[in-house]
Amino acid sequence: MLEIKGLTKKYGKFLALDNLNLHVDRGEIFGFVGPNGAGKTTTMRIICGLLRATGGTVLVDGVNAIANPQEIKRKVGYVPDFFGVYDNLKVMEYMEFYGDMYGMDKEDVDEVAEGLLELVNLADKKETFVDTLSRGMKQRLCVARALIHNPDLLILDEPNSGLDPRARFEMKEVLKNLGSMGKTIMISSHILPELAEMCTSIGIMERGRLMLSGRVEDIMHQTRISRPIHMRAYAPDFADAREGRDYIVTLLMEQPEISRVNFTEDEILLSFTGEEEDAARLLKYLISKNVLVSNFYREKENLESLFLEITGRAKA
Amino acid sequence: MKKKRRMNPVLKKELVVNSRSIKMSLAIMGVNAFLALIALVAILEAGAGSSNYEYSALVSLFPIIGCLECGMLSLIVPVITSGSISGEREKQTLDIMLTTPMSPFSIAAGKLWSAMVIVMMYMLTSIPILSIAFVLGGMSWWALLGLLGMLLYLGIYVGSIGIFCSSVVKRSISATVLTIIIGVAILMLTSILFAVGMGVLSYLTVVVNNQQATGNPQVFHPGLVPAIMMFNPYSPFFDFMLRSMTNYSVCEMVKDAGNISPLLEIFYNLWIPISIGLNLFIALGFLKLAGKNITVSRKIKRK
Ligand SMILES: Nc1ncnc2c1ncn2[C@@H]1O[C@H](COP(=O)(O)OP(=O)(O)OP(=O)(O)O)[C@@H](O)[C@H]1O
Ligand SMILES: [Mg+2]
Repeated sequence: MLEIKGLTKKYGKFLALDNLNLHVDRGEIFGFVGPNGAGKTTTMRIICGLLRATGGTVLVDGVNAIANPQEIKRKVGYVPDFFGVYDNLKVMEYMEFYGDMYGMDKEDVDEVAEGLLELVNLADKKETFVDTLSRGMKQRLCVARALIHNPDLLILDEPNSGLDPRARFEMKEVLKNLGSMGKTIMISSHILPELAEMCTSIGIMERGRLMLSGRVEDIMHQTRISRPIHMRAYAPDFADAREGRDYIVTLLMEQPEISRVNFTEDEILLSFTGEEEDAARLLKYLISKNVLVSNFYREKENLESLFLEITGRAKA
Repeated sequence: MKKKRRMNPVLKKELVVNSRSIKMSLAIMGVNAFLALIALVAILEAGAGSSNYEYSALVSLFPIIGCLECGMLSLIVPVITSGSISGEREKQTLDIMLTTPMSPFSIAAGKLWSAMVIVMMYMLTSIPILSIAFVLGGMSWWALLGLLGMLLYLGIYVGSIGIFCSSVVKRSISATVLTIIIGVAILMLTSILFAVGMGVLSYLTVVVNNQQATGNPQVFHPGLVPAIMMFNPYSPFFDFMLRSMTNYSVCEMVKDAGNISPLLEIFYNLWIPISIGLNLFIALGFLKLAGKNITVSRKIKRK
């Protein structure tokens, strides 16, 4: 459905997308995760023809997005991260306006719009002025709008940003429904657990590169091994706290399972890839080296930590 | 399959939105109240002084109100068009528009037409006041129709520049100012070129005459130099006013200034259509440029 190969985008000298490769199958809900500035929005805007790529190809349903922007616009529906609505326009008129821009007849638009407003729970708001809708309603209206021309691919850029938990839940329900209807959807977010619940596959992006992608189950499996350890430890042999800390770090960094050591205020966070037994062995080793451990806790399986792990690794 | 001609979607939407805008109605009312005041003064003036009421004096209302409308239009159109693209950018609705298959040029055209609808509203609502000049003063109705056409043409010209500016500049207010600056620049440039051209021509004529000293003196041939003023967007309006109020015309003015060939006489007699054609072509150029500039906002805005 969506095939991205070697996609590169430069803003002046700044390399925002660096040889990005991505594949999304038909009917999938693809979660696109990455910290701020990873290049999610840039990728999405290139797919819907709003931005020009510096290099690489984007195929949507076999159509080259860069060569045929007009054709792509009929295949893709886009909900931007930031968007506005018009004053003095009612919900139904808003839908009609965009349907009209796609060259649809009023009767067709009305019929489709009715169904879509039903889907996004705005059926009772048809005569409401769009600028008076709440943030969450506007967001859902924008989803309905993006679907007016029945696109093959729906692209949502952080549809949950700025929404309260209730509105997030409603948005999630809408997207789940769409997924079960067989739409191919691409959603970006910087909050991974939120996506994990509704996505079938996920790609993690960092600094213009795709660090990891695959089906949610497969990635979940990986998180079973890669989970950080939180601990509190002291080295009583050293009078100076800093020296003690350095001693502990040296010990930790010798371990093959530990890729990174982070000191927060009163805690040490270890990026740890190993089985349960390895963790236990690590604790024993530390104690044998005369390190006092007051707290030693391994995180539960969690995509969020994997995300931090991967994006953190890129920075190191 | 027959393709149905459809209304520009942007125009359709703007009509709905504008019809709900109180600001617009108030502005139209304000403009007409002002015109009515002028008309009232003229009516009272016509009756003052002499014992018998001079209805014919009311004819002068036509150029006065015509010029006033022309002047107001030159200020109103920049204001209503300058927000057309920059406003969409400010509201962050432009990106969504650009994800639809509608071409940027059609978006610009839709914006222009919706501005023209507003211009028409201004004009149509002022017809009752203008009619005083016709009903009481005895102007021809063709003149009224001509005036409306002139104003519409000027609206398209100024509006295209306004939309172009709106597509270049970020803020609507700067776009208004830029539109007026470009307009004034065009007026000044055409006038200066014209003045310089005429100056050089008459100087040459004088020089030639001095050298020949005797015999039949060389007559002044303005040639195509006055045609520079065809690029002045107000020149057709000027010719139109001359023709409706007097027997005079721009062509006569040129003839008074010097000798022109019969072919040029025909040319200058067609000042209004030629100049309007030229300027509408330029307007189309501005609109095309606007279409080129309607692209995604350079900076992704963060709230
Ligand atoms: N118009 C632009 N000009 C210059 N640099 C830009 C532009 N747009 C984006 N960038 C840069 O490109 C990088 C990727 O930006 P992008 O908006 O795609 O990230 P993102 O993953 O969507 O981040 P966020 O989570 O903040 O939305 C950032 O470093 C950003 O500063
Ligand atoms: Mg983004």
